[in-house]
Amino acid sequence: MLIERCIGAYRLRRIQRTLRHGKVTVICLILTVVVLRGTIGAGKFGTPEQDFLNIRDHLVRKTAEHRRVLEEIQPQQQQQAKTISDSAQSSGSSSTSNANSYIEFDINTILKDEGPEEKPDPSKPYSLGTKISDWDEQRSLWLKSNPQFPNFIGPEKPRVLLVTGSSPKPCENPVGDHYLLKSIKNKIDYCRLHGVEMFYNMALLDAEMAGFWAKLPLIRKLLLSHPEVEFLWWMDSDALFTDMAFEVPWERYKDSNFVMHGWNEMVYDEKNWIGLNTGSFLLRNCQWSLDILDAWAPMGPKGKIREEAGKILTRELKGRPVFEADDQSAMVYLLATQKDLWGSKVYLENAYYLHGYWGILVDRYEEMIENYHPGLGDHRWPLVTHFVGCKPCGKFGDYPVERCLKQMDRAFNFGDNQILQMYGFTHKSLASRRVKRVRNETSNPLQVKDELGLLHPAFKAVKLSS
Amino acid sequence: MGKDAFTPQKRVTSGSLPTTTTNGGGKYLPGRVVPRGRQIKKTFNNIRITILCGFVTILVLRGTIGVGNLGSPDADAVDQSIIEETNRILAEIRSDSDPTDPEQPPDAEINPNVTYTLGPKIENWDFSRKNWLESNPEFPNHVNGKPRILLLTGSPPNPCDNPIGDHYLLKAVKNKIDYCRIHGIEIVYNMAHLDKELAGYWAKLPMIRRLMLSHPEVEWIWWMDSDALFTDMVFEIPLSKYTNHNLVIHGYPDLLFEQKSWIALNTGSFLFRNCQWSLDLLDAWAPMGPKGSIRDEAGKILTANLKGRPAFEADDQSALIYLLMSQKGQWMDRVFIENSYYLHGYWAGLVDRYEEMIEKYHPGLGDERWPFVTHFVGCKPCGSYGDYPVERCLRSMERAFNFADNQVLKLYGFSHRGLLSPKIRRTRNETVMPLEYVDQFDIRRAKH
Repeated sequence: MLIERCIGAYRLRRIQRTLRHGKVTVICLILTVVVLRGTIGAGKFGTPEQDFLNIRDHLVRKTAEHRRVLEEIQPQQQQQAKTISDSAQSSGSSSTSNANSYIEFDINTILKDEGPEEKPDPSKPYSLGTKISDWDEQRSLWLKSNPQFPNFIGPEKPRVLLVTGSSPKPCENPVGDHYLLKSIKNKIDYCRLHGVEMFYNMALLDAEMAGFWAKLPLIRKLLLSHPEVEFLWWMDSDALFTDMAFEVPWERYKDSNFVMHGWNEMVYDEKNWIGLNTGSFLLRNCQWSLDILDAWAPMGPKGKIREEAGKILTRELKGRPVFEADDQSAMVYLLATQKDLWGSKVYLENAYYLHGYWGILVDRYEEMIENYHPGLGDHRWPLVTHFVGCKPCGKFGDYPVERCLKQMDRAFNFGDNQILQMYGFTHKSLASRRVKRVRNETSNPLQVKDELGLLHPAFKAVKLSS
Repeated sequence: MGKDAFTPQKRVTSGSLPTTTTNGGGKYLPGRVVPRGRQIKKTFNNIRITILCGFVTILVLRGTIGVGNLGSPDADAVDQSIIEETNRILAEIRSDSDPTDPEQPPDAEINPNVTYTLGPKIENWDFSRKNWLESNPEFPNHVNGKPRILLLTGSPPNPCDNPIGDHYLLKAVKNKIDYCRIHGIEIVYNMAHLDKELAGYWAKLPMIRRLMLSHPEVEWIWWMDSDALFTDMVFEIPLSKYTNHNLVIHGYPDLLFEQKSWIALNTGSFLFRNCQWSLDLLDAWAPMGPKGSIRDEAGKILTANLKGRPAFEADDQSALIYLLMSQKGQWMDRVFIENSYYLHGYWAGLVDRYEEMIEKYHPGLGDERWPFVTHFVGCKPCGSYGDYPVERCLRSMERAFNFADNQVLKLYGFSHRGLLSPKIRRTRNETVMPLEYVDQFDIRRAKH
């Protein structure tokens, strides 16, 4: 009223009308901004969804990370609780409550790198090491002057070094290390039976060649440091031996230097990226091998080189998805394009499963047990079951977790049964960790032979000097 | 006057908000008493608009942030189900249950009146074994001039309570693989409980016996705990010292016979010769082992007789000490209690001195200057809780592992970037004559 008297009723109404219009406009503007923010977001001011999540997180204090599919679960503590002296333990959600508890201990708090980081010289092209041209001569001289380290431990049996490895840091998946442990036990068993030496690598020799390429510098270093080794057998950590009785036919490869599982047509004619498999292969210790390693390495250095090489490989090879260059595709490409240089000494083996893709094998184990026997090494009883794509040490694999882990258990037990039968035991089933006796103890143990003859097999007999 | 004529028009045109639609504006007097009907209508309109606005708001919000379970986007739901499924699988894997025995009958309690045995009594093992070796010359008990040794170690078949435990088991196996490759020793890694009765630390007994009987070509069986690491890659056990002995174990004779201490010997690392005497000792050792009332009762006897032993069920170490103490005359002449080198080295006194050792000494000594074995008793990384702070244990295990690994990597020209670092650095440049360094640094060539 006071205002009306000041300004005049007419003007007052106009002002009121303007105000009303203004109000409507502002409300519509706000609504528009809200809707737009909800749909396209507003940069660092985020979206309403993020607001909601932030608020919820703040209120509820959740610690679970939703992006991780494989989460750490709170371990069952009932059984172990009785070993603790005091019972006033929290639910285990914070490790500071008890310094003796392994629950949720982060290993990264104790790891420490000293010394400078080695930086490669970007101006120099990548090389695995100083070029050596006379390795065959050097090696044969050394072998002559060291007769106590022969490169053949039997008439047809070369000295073999099985090389495998994993990361020096704990797996991201909580059960990954357990499966690595089972895998190494499986390899220890096969190697003990067959007189093969083992090297388990846990060191990254060359930061440039990380990931699947890490095997190249390692293989080269081992070949040069172990001249007594005739064949180096690389095997992935996700490959398991499933035929403990099968001995590799060494004499078949006396004229070859590189043995991989694969098919000639698929590599040379089709250029198929899975025409061969570099998860399990044999490499002879000779100059030719050093040369092929040098020819293989250039696509490996991480970063731009690997990315670009990946594009070339996807373009050139059949069926290859788009991702950075991997050692297997690079080998297919190398062999397909330089067949005349290397092909004569490469043997692509497919008469037995030097590498056996797990997908087509693991469901048939019961059928194999019923119909066949160990020692065949092929589709009837595979030498190696290779869990490509499962990646049990990482967070995500290409296959469902349940199938991968359960099948790895089955494959492990399938192989382990052949070891346990030497001692009169077997797993209760392919899925079970428990064992049961299948042969009674006797007071004459030396009369009893194990069914497969693995206790004292021919391929382990020492060379008798005549 | 003009005002009055103006007002209705104004009222009509300014009625953009439906609340002000009126008829017969002439009768309408702003600010004055409003008729009831109009008021109701106005209220109605207000309510309608409020509801409409509210509706629009909900729609917009639902579209942007979702309303939890009432229709959120699909991805969240799928993620959640994957997470639940994965957790279920991991829980199943880590549990102790057996997927194929849903209705396992309860284990029959062993009859305490019947003495437990590891197997049928074998009487003439030395003779049988000698015959076998003679008829199988391609499996001799000596290789390259050294007696054939088999290293036995193991861990439970299920995953550790914590992932870090499995990781250190893996590192310990690598450590043993390295030592055994350098020294030509075979490894058996046991992950099976051969005998339900003798589970836990007793599980080694049936396995040792089984291996002895199945592998007559093996001269010595060396048991090593999974928490023991080799820290001297060059040192070799001086087996020639033990030609008249059948059991080599680390300990202190005075602690054993005078003080009767429960830690007089350590069964985390010991060697058994493959012979009749060893089978007899194993048979005499086993009776305190069967789990249940026998083990508990035996534990009480051991606590009563051994100095410093806490009260818990019988363990293999205390039982062996008690056996050797009480039947001294029968066994002790063939037992070598070794303490001139660390066949077992208690970790607490050793791990902090690694830097000092690197500075002053060299590998190959095996004793307190450069311990052969560093044994992490009490750390129990595979369980949930240990007897010591976790950080100290894991830090020390990492240091011991790297300390040993440096000795292996020396041949290849690398070394860890610090005893706590998983990364390595080059210590030697690449060369065109690698065999010079092989001659210099290969441990095997230095020994033989």
